[in-house]
Amino acid sequence: MSGTNSSIELATLSALAEPNRMAIVELLRDGPLTVGDIAERLGLRQPQASKHLKVLSDNGMVKVTADANRRYYSLRPEPFQALNRWVDSFRRVMEDRFDNLERYLQELQDKDRSKPES
Amino acid sequence: MAGNAMASRVENDRVLVLERVFDAPRDLVFKMFKEAEHLRHWWGPRGWEVTFCEVDFRPGGVWHYCFKCMDPNQGDFYGMESWGKGVYKEIAEPEMFVYTDYFSDAEGNANEAMPSTDITMEFVDLGGGRTKLISRSEYVSAETLKTVMDMGMLQGITETWDRLEERLYEVN
Repeated sequence: MSGTNSSIELATLSALAEPNRMAIVELLRDGPLTVGDIAERLGLRQPQASKHLKVLSDNGMVKVTADANRRYYSLRPEPFQALNRWVDSFRRVMEDRFDNLERYLQELQDKDRSKPES
Repeated sequence: MAGNAMASRVENDRVLVLERVFDAPRDLVFKMFKEAEHLRHWWGPRGWEVTFCEVDFRPGGVWHYCFKCMDPNQGDFYGMESWGKGVYKEIAEPEMFVYTDYFSDAEGNANEAMPSTDITMEFVDLGGGRTKLISRSEYVSAETLKTVMDMGMLQGITETWDRLEERLYEVN
């Protein structure tokens, strides 16, 4: 595969490997939430939810925006875009290879045809 | 040579299917995948050269390869090496073979932190010296990546984020 295994993608993958954190990311896709909202919807205790949010935030996946007396958690798009690019890069790599293969097969067969029968 | 277009689709939300027709007989197309001297000529993506390629084409056998970016226009990638390792799971020549693709190092140790991929290559004889190649890639080791793909390739995340910004501005 291509050389696109940058650290941001590794961080993204490992942070999401924990099911509660994945669930938090899925919740936040629909919009920003407070830690209280998140804890309630996932049936977690608030300190637990805070802990997971801290990991996600340390990995650059979530950011906090303070409003007067509430703190809203939301997704940062960059790491997800990086992951998406990584998946997409696989498709492009294979397409390049198949283009090369087509050319190479053509060369081989042309060479074969111009060779006298042995 | 106009080139045959590649078709791609996603099956079961996490299997990426690529199809391509080649104007070459099936045996020859299959051979391109099983012999290192042939793979060297085409396995590198555009601008990348295969600098190392060893193939042990049998179930359980290892295919270890490296490609290096030789294209100065690719910026940060220029000069970068990428090592990969395949382990063949199943071979039915000349119809198909299955292997697991890993990121690896120069010694051939798989990088467990990165997702591995199960890849099935199927070769369909179309007659008249034409072959359809169907590649199916299934992400196996990173449950996460599957989930990420299930989430619809993350379309819409940016929009969500933009909406949030707007909302917060309104609140403030």
